[in-house]
Parts: sequence; structure tokens; C-alpha cells
Amino acid sequence: MTHGMGHTADTERHFDVGQLTRVEGEGSLTLRVRDGKVEEAHLGIFEAPRYFERLVVGRTPDEVIDIVARICGICPVAYQMSAVHAFEALFGVEIEPQTRALRRLFYCGEWIESHALHVYLLHAPDFLGYPSAIELARDHRAVVERALTMKRTGNALVARLGARPIHPLTVRVGGFSRVPRRDELLALRPALDEALATAQATVDFVASLSAPDFQRNPRLVALRHPAEYPMNDGRIVSNDGLDVPIDGWREAFAEDQVAWSNALQARTRAGEVYLLGPAARVTLSAERLHPFAAEALARLGMAEQIRRNPFWSIAARAVELVHATAEAIDIIDAYVPPSAPYVKWAARPGATGWATEAPRGLLFHHYEIDERGLVAAAQIVPPTSQNQAAIEADLTAFAPSVLDLPHAEATLRLEQMIRSYDPCISCATHFLDVRIEEAAP
Amino acid sequence: MTPVATTHPVQLLVCGNDDRCDDGAAIWATLDLIDGLPPAGLAEFGARMCGALDVEHLLEVPAGDMVVIADAAIGVRPGHVVTLTFDELLEQPHGPAPHSSHTLPIDQVIGIARALKGGSVDGLFVGLGGSEFGFGSVPSAVVRRALPEFAAAIQAAIQRLAEQPAASGA
Repeated sequence: MTHGMGHTADTERHFDVGQLTRVEGEGSLTLRVRDGKVEEAHLGIFEAPRYFERLVVGRTPDEVIDIVARICGICPVAYQMSAVHAFEALFGVEIEPQTRALRRLFYCGEWIESHALHVYLLHAPDFLGYPSAIELARDHRAVVERALTMKRTGNALVARLGARPIHPLTVRVGGFSRVPRRDELLALRPALDEALATAQATVDFVASLSAPDFQRNPRLVALRHPAEYPMNDGRIVSNDGLDVPIDGWREAFAEDQVAWSNALQARTRAGEVYLLGPAARVTLSAERLHPFAAEALARLGMAEQIRRNPFWSIAARAVELVHATAEAIDIIDAYVPPSAPYVKWAARPGATGWATEAPRGLLFHHYEIDERGLVAAAQIVPPTSQNQAAIEADLTAFAPSVLDLPHAEATLRLEQMIRSYDPCISCATHFLDVRIEEAAP
Repeated sequence: MTPVATTHPVQLLVCGNDDRCDDGAAIWATLDLIDGLPPAGLAEFGARMCGALDVEHLLEVPAGDMVVIADAAIGVRPGHVVTLTFDELLEQPHGPAPHSSHTLPIDQVIGIARALKGGSVDGLFVGLGGSEFGFGSVPSAVVRRALPEFAAAIQAAIQRLAEQPAASGA
């Protein structure tokens, strides 16, 4: 990470931060400050468009499931889950309950590896005053080893169900191309038992941290299910009354292009910003957490901080680590293989949409299928593009409180805030350039 | 190849996906090398397919073994082969780097592994600049032409590390 600061003849003051390596993707932040007030906060995403929505046109549903997995190396399961459920909804496919449980197990694996990565290797260094996980590893070896152990367990779960930990291969319309035997899943139990203990320790670790005191009252959006913590099913709800079906994202939200970003931004139809992710899920579905996770949340005593302070998203991730490991154990213990890996299906033309809960929040897919059973149009709305506007709003509100701090400390706080949202700008390169411009009065 | 009298154990980590065009460069280059691996005289040698390079791949290398990371490269002209020590990779975090160091950037991957293994993680990165990383099971023409040079560089890196004194770095 490099920092620089400059002044230009009484007119503008520039703070430049070179590279930040603890976000997924390539972006920049520009703050324009006048009289101590942030006039403009732009989260720029200048990574080239990747055209996946066009790449899937003309493809069969099963090809699409393989293709969209390539959008992200950290959350490929999420892309596969949103796609497969959208297709099954249109085609009237009823999967077996055991298959449904396997899909939740699949998602648990992804949440475990993604949250462990973010809590320990991307976000914890900020809280403990280290520039990166390298220095953290030197001084707190056990902390980093915990992260790697949990990540390994999450990856093993995804690999067991998906044939490999990154860009899995087995998801298909109607189920999986292959489902595991019971003994194959039971072999993961010892690692998951260890992961559950580690997740509980993660909650205690997070409780020992301190975060900047920043409070706001965000609009939180997530799936909510009547009986389960949200992953693959439910309704899209918010803490201010929104409640639409899982395929109804386009009724409630819309994407828009802004000049400074190659990613579309999303807002409500009324133009309001909203926030997705672990803090939204924990806030909106706390009563659906696994009992172990609910106990962890109660032990933390931070439900209100999770809702109001973005820095405490790390606590929400810790709680969800407990949930995902505990639920994975329950699913494995109860597992009986489905009667067949997948059920037969037939394509039918029409439009379909579905949302599932990626580690970073609600991921919506919409497809139009033509008479040949091929995709005619697609819309894929990742959580980070939906969170962009909320991140900018939070930075606008938060930045004035740090402008009087020494430059390095102010910069660190701004970076830490951005990392709070675990932005997954893309999976290709890793840097964020922060520029603060202070205009003359 | 000249036999090595006293050899240092070497582990070859082959990274990438061969269904993503040039991302499979290291896999194809290593296939071309199979008949010549391990180099003559190298008593202890291991190779594994890593897909996306992660900290754990380095942690699982036996203590004291040297490592060759073979991967398509970013920050390198398509068709161009680079060989860098791990220290050189760390010194230039935005220079040439393995394409498949995905979850964390390469300086973090090596840095964390070194911190956890007491600095004993060392070796060489051999990379080939790619031009196409979309879907497809064949490399681009520029990478296909460079595969023999890439394979030779991987073999040379193995040989070079094998000849290292046991206690020193690359």
C-alpha cells in the first residue's frame, strides 16, 4: 500500500492512496471535500465489462449454470444457485427434499470459505492495526491458521459436492449430475466439528475488536424464509416494509449506469439506496439463525451495532460462520441420498427470475428462454453492484469524521469502511485506489 | 540435461485451468515435459496440479523443499516467458504474477506462507503471458507457439533449484 498527499496552489488538496490489496477486484474511490463536507463520493469500478449476460445468450440452461459459475472464484455456488432455481421455477421442476438440502449444504461450504477469508485475511488486519495478513500471520499465527483451517473446510465441502472447490461442475437443472454417498459426507464431519469450534472462537475474537463509532440507519434488503435462515428460498424483504416474491426483484429495484463505474448501480424503484449482505441477513432473519448462531449473536450482544454500524459487518460474518458450520453438520447427520441425482425436466419458453443469498448478499438472475429452450436474454445483478450506492452514501456520511485525523489514519479508516462491505468487484485483479480531493471554499 | 550431483528436493506446482484458453498454459507445458521429469539426477521431486494457487499449496510443500510455481502470467506480454524468484515477486506486487493466484494476490500468498512456515518457503515462478482467458480448451496461437520455451523454462527452473545448496534460497 502506498500513500501520497499533495497540495495544488491553494485550490485543491489531494490524498492519494496507491494500492489496497484486500478487496476482490479493481476499483477506485474519489472523495471531493469542501469545507470539511464531502460533496461527492464515487466508488469507481473501472475494470472492463465482462459481458457474461451476453455470453449466455443462445446457451442451454445447463450450459448457463457452468458459465455463470465463472463470474466469481469466491462465490461460484451463488451464481449457480440463482441460475438453477430460476430455470427450475420456469420449467416447473420439483427437486427432492434431499437435493434441496444438498444445495443448502453447498451454500454453507461457500459461506464458510468466503466469510473465513474476509473475517481473518481481509478485514481483521484493519482492526488489529496491520497492513496485511502477512504481518498479522507473523504476530498472530493462530489467528491466520484458524482462517486457513476454516477456508479449507469450506472448500472441501464445495469440492465434495461440486467436484472441485472453485468453479464447481456438478450443478444441473433438476439436481446434481452426481450426489455424494452418505459416507463421503460423513468423512467431512471431523473437519466441520473443528470448524464449528473455530467459528465459535471467531465470535469471541470479533468481540475483542473495537471499531469506529459510526451510526446510520440503512435500508437493509435480504431474502427471508418462514422457517429457515435465507439461502435459496424465501421472499425479498427490507427493514422498511418491502416484501416481494423471490422472482420480483425487478418490481422493486432497477439498475442504472453512472459515469464513474463500469458496473451498474442498483436502487429501489423510488431511487433509494439499500444494503445487502450478512448484516442485512442477520438483522432481518435473526430468529431463523441456527440455535448455536443465535446463541453466538446473543453472546456478542451486538445485534444493534450490526444493523447500524457497517464496521461491525465482521461480527455478522462471524455469526454466519457459526450458522453455516452448524447447519452443515445438521444436514450431513440427517443426509439420505436422493432417489436420483436429478429429476428429468423439459424446457419451456418464458421469463423467469430468482434470487439467492451469496456471501455478500442477494444475487438476482433473470432469464428469457426461447422456443428452442435456449437463453434469449439475461440479467445478472450481483450484490456488490447493488451495494455500490450504499457504500458511497456511507462514505459521504463517515468521511467528515476522519478528515481531521492524520492522513494515514484517515485513509485507513476509509479503506476499512470499504472493506466492511467485502466488495467483490471482480476476481481478476486486486486493487483499490483512493483519492480525496479537497476543493477550496 | 546434465545430471545433478547433489540435489535439493523440488516441488512443482502447476496452476491454471485448461478449459480457460491460455490459463491452461502451465498444464500443457508440463504435459510436454513429462518424459523429462524429474530431471536426471534429481532424486526428490514432486508435482501437483493446483488450479488456483492458494496459501495452503505452499504450506503443504515439505519443509525445506524448493518450489516452482508454473502458471499463466499477468503483467507479461502475451507469449513472453518470465522466471522470477519469490523475492522478486514480493518486491513487485503489481509486476508479473501468476494468473491463478486468485483469492489473494501473490505477495499475500507467499508472504502468509512464509510467515507461517518461518520463511522457509522459497523458489521460482515461471510464467507465460497469455492473451485469451475465455472459455475454450485450446490456447491462443501466441501461447501455443511459446509452449516449448515455457516448458524449457520450467525444466530449467527445476534444475536451478535442485542445484541450490540446501540451506539457501533461490
